[in-house]
Amino acid sequence: MSRPLLEVDHLVMNYTTEKGDVSAIQDVSFTLNEGESLGLVGESGCGKTSIAMSLLRLVAENARFDSGEIRLDGTDLLSLTDEEMRQRRWNDISMVFQGAMNAWNPVYKVGDQIREAMDLHFHPRLSNAEVEARISKLFELVGLNPAMMNRYPHEFSGGMRQRAIIAMALSCDPKIIIADEPTTALDVIVQDQILQELKKIQADLGMSIIYISHDIAVIAEVTDKIGVMYAGKLVELGSTREVFARPRHPYAFLLLSSTPSVTGPRRKLAPLEGEPPDLLNPPTGCRFHPRCPYATDQCATDEPPMEDAGDGHQVACWNWKEVPELGGLTK
Amino acid sequence: MGKYMARRLFQSVLLFLVFITITWFLLYALPGDIVTQKFRTNPNIPPEAAETAIRRLGLDRPILEQFWTYVTGFFRGDFGVSFNQYPRPVTEIIAERLPRTIVLFLTAIVTYYWAGFIAGKYLAWRRGKRGEMAITVGGVGLLTVFYPWFALMAIWLLSAQLGLLPISKFLDPTEWRNAPFSANEVFMRLFWTVAITSALLFSVQYAANKIRDAAPARAIRLGGTVLVIVGFVFYWWGAGGVEIRPFAGDIAEHLVLPVLVLTLVNFAGIMLLTRSSMLETMREDFILTARAKGLPEKAVRDRHAARTALLPVTTSLVLAVATVIDGGIITEFVFSWPGMGEILISSVTSEDIPLAVTAFSFIGVMALVGHFVVDMLYGVLDPRIRVSSSQ
Ligand SMILES: Nc1ncnc2c1ncn2[C@@H]1O[C@H](COP(=O)(O)OP(=O)(O)OP(=O)(O)O)[C@@H](O)[C@H]1O
Ligand code: SF4
Ligand SMILES: [Mg+2]
Repeated sequence: MSRPLLEVDHLVMNYTTEKGDVSAIQDVSFTLNEGESLGLVGESGCGKTSIAMSLLRLVAENARFDSGEIRLDGTDLLSLTDEEMRQRRWNDISMVFQGAMNAWNPVYKVGDQIREAMDLHFHPRLSNAEVEARISKLFELVGLNPAMMNRYPHEFSGGMRQRAIIAMALSCDPKIIIADEPTTALDVIVQDQILQELKKIQADLGMSIIYISHDIAVIAEVTDKIGVMYAGKLVELGSTREVFARPRHPYAFLLLSSTPSVTGPRRKLAPLEGEPPDLLNPPTGCRFHPRCPYATDQCATDEPPMEDAGDGHQVACWNWKEVPELGGLTK
Repeated sequence: MGKYMARRLFQSVLLFLVFITITWFLLYALPGDIVTQKFRTNPNIPPEAAETAIRRLGLDRPILEQFWTYVTGFFRGDFGVSFNQYPRPVTEIIAERLPRTIVLFLTAIVTYYWAGFIAGKYLAWRRGKRGEMAITVGGVGLLTVFYPWFALMAIWLLSAQLGLLPISKFLDPTEWRNAPFSANEVFMRLFWTVAITSALLFSVQYAANKIRDAAPARAIRLGGTVLVIVGFVFYWWGAGGVEIRPFAGDIAEHLVLPVLVLTLVNFAGIMLLTRSSMLETMREDFILTARAKGLPEKAVRDRHAARTALLPVTTSLVLAVATVIDGGIITEFVFSWPGMGEILISSVTSEDIPLAVTAFSFIGVMALVGHFVVDMLYGVLDPRIRVSSSQ
């Protein structure tokens, strides 16, 4: 169950631009085990999508991997040829894109677009009837009427399109599904339904999922582990329960304390002040230091390494021991 | 789709009625009493003959009745009698001229759309690579060139200087002296050849795109194309076409230069349009999806980017129809191509009203038919229109 399936190892990625390098992924490491679900959270522009795209090696043309590895079952994806990588896409890792509303080509039937992926990756090739049977099954799994496979994308509502995308992501039995803000464009009720269904599907089929969101509350319910990102860096990584109950990194702490909790104890809202940093010129030392209430002189010059804070809960902060318990804020 | 077609057809007919009404009244309201000028005071026609002609032409009837007679006649294929070539029916004149115009422009449009689309597709795909700049600049240059000058230069260079192609006209009269065919028969054959060959080639592509596996799809595409070409050769060199072939060849040879010139000045527009449409499509999320699915780059380009980028290019076909009408007059004039454009000018300047009205009406018909065909094509290509309009 807990064999490491995906290992991201000290990954560094920059976007080359006219104004200089944008440091979108800075020394990020995490592992994802078989059947596990990991959430990546952080504010807009912190590099979540960049990580997702790196896993498929579908980054923008100006992206440059400077160091690190992305190992899937022990093979470094960054060292594969384009053709080898192409054959792994969707077969090993599939993706539900951010803003997946427009992820369908308007001129082809939804079923045909799913079949397109299966024709590429399914060995041995399935007959027409088998493909149809499989798509029907997948549609039922995600709560769609199988007859819809013969319809065009514009005949689907937003939620239905998203469900169909999930069906397509499942179509080739991938080892990992990446869901980048899978429900942001949907209303809250549909959002919750889809996340719950994804969770159920994952439990039934046993693949691993990486959820990406800027809203920690949305994915907390469906993930085993959570990684908190700030300005291109992973600053905290631990089991969802741990991170929620006792965030160690000042940024995670402020993020959680500004998330109103319905079920937990009443929390005083501590605002997160200042602007997210410009990744063209990221702050030296700890990238959070200009906004951090716990910052010391060391923070401005030295980059804090990832440290174990007990029980595999990792944090990159010089002063994590100073961060109070969440409950400590309630007076 | 059927319902959509019927509705569009109905709209087209309605629009045509409005068009023909305006045209008819405008031309019959030309300054001066045409009847008097052309017949009564014409020194070449004896008075009795003039009166007979006026009666036979129905010019003594009330104006509304004349209009009604014309419109009802039009739908029966009877366009009245020419003033200047009296008593030759207008129908006969049009039947002679129309195929010449259609063959020339249909060939040109098919050629330059095809060339422009392919060029634009590669241009967008190879963006930023070598050659892009040169092709774009060359294209814009051709697009902005003063067309009549360019056509004359082409005639001068290719025909007069190098002697590669016939200078102008649509056939070589010396070869036709004892021809067993009228030029018109040959034009009709040519027209059907162009139309059927294009339709077959298009169908082959369409069928091949529907096949899931790459290998049989390629076999169908290749086999189908070869079959169409073999059929073409068989017809013209073997079966029914042997006798007529030298004459068709003569006309085809005369067609090359105008088609070439029309292609050169028009393909760049299609190329640039395809390019920008492609570039826009390539930024769409579904292109990312296609890549994420692990599709080979060629499939992403052709099946997803180009197929979708085709939609705005198809819309522009409507504009091509307009080009036929205005550019057509210039083209026919420069290349001494006796088609509809030439009739349009000569009939208006010589006040041959029935002929002029009919020539204008046919231009209207051509525009509406072109528009209708483009709409249908668009419906076939874009399911959003096809599906929503059939419900
Ligand atoms: N092609 C590119 N060239 C230059 N900079 C880029 C490029 N793509 C993304 N960036 C920058 O890299 C940073 C990370 O972007 P990314 O899209 O990964 O963030 P994100 O966390 O997914 O944000 P969001 O929540 O808004 O989706 C941002 O600052 C963004 O402006
Ligand atoms: S390292 Fe310093 S600046 Fe960074 S989060 Fe910790 S305390 Fe704040
Ligand atoms: Mg993103």
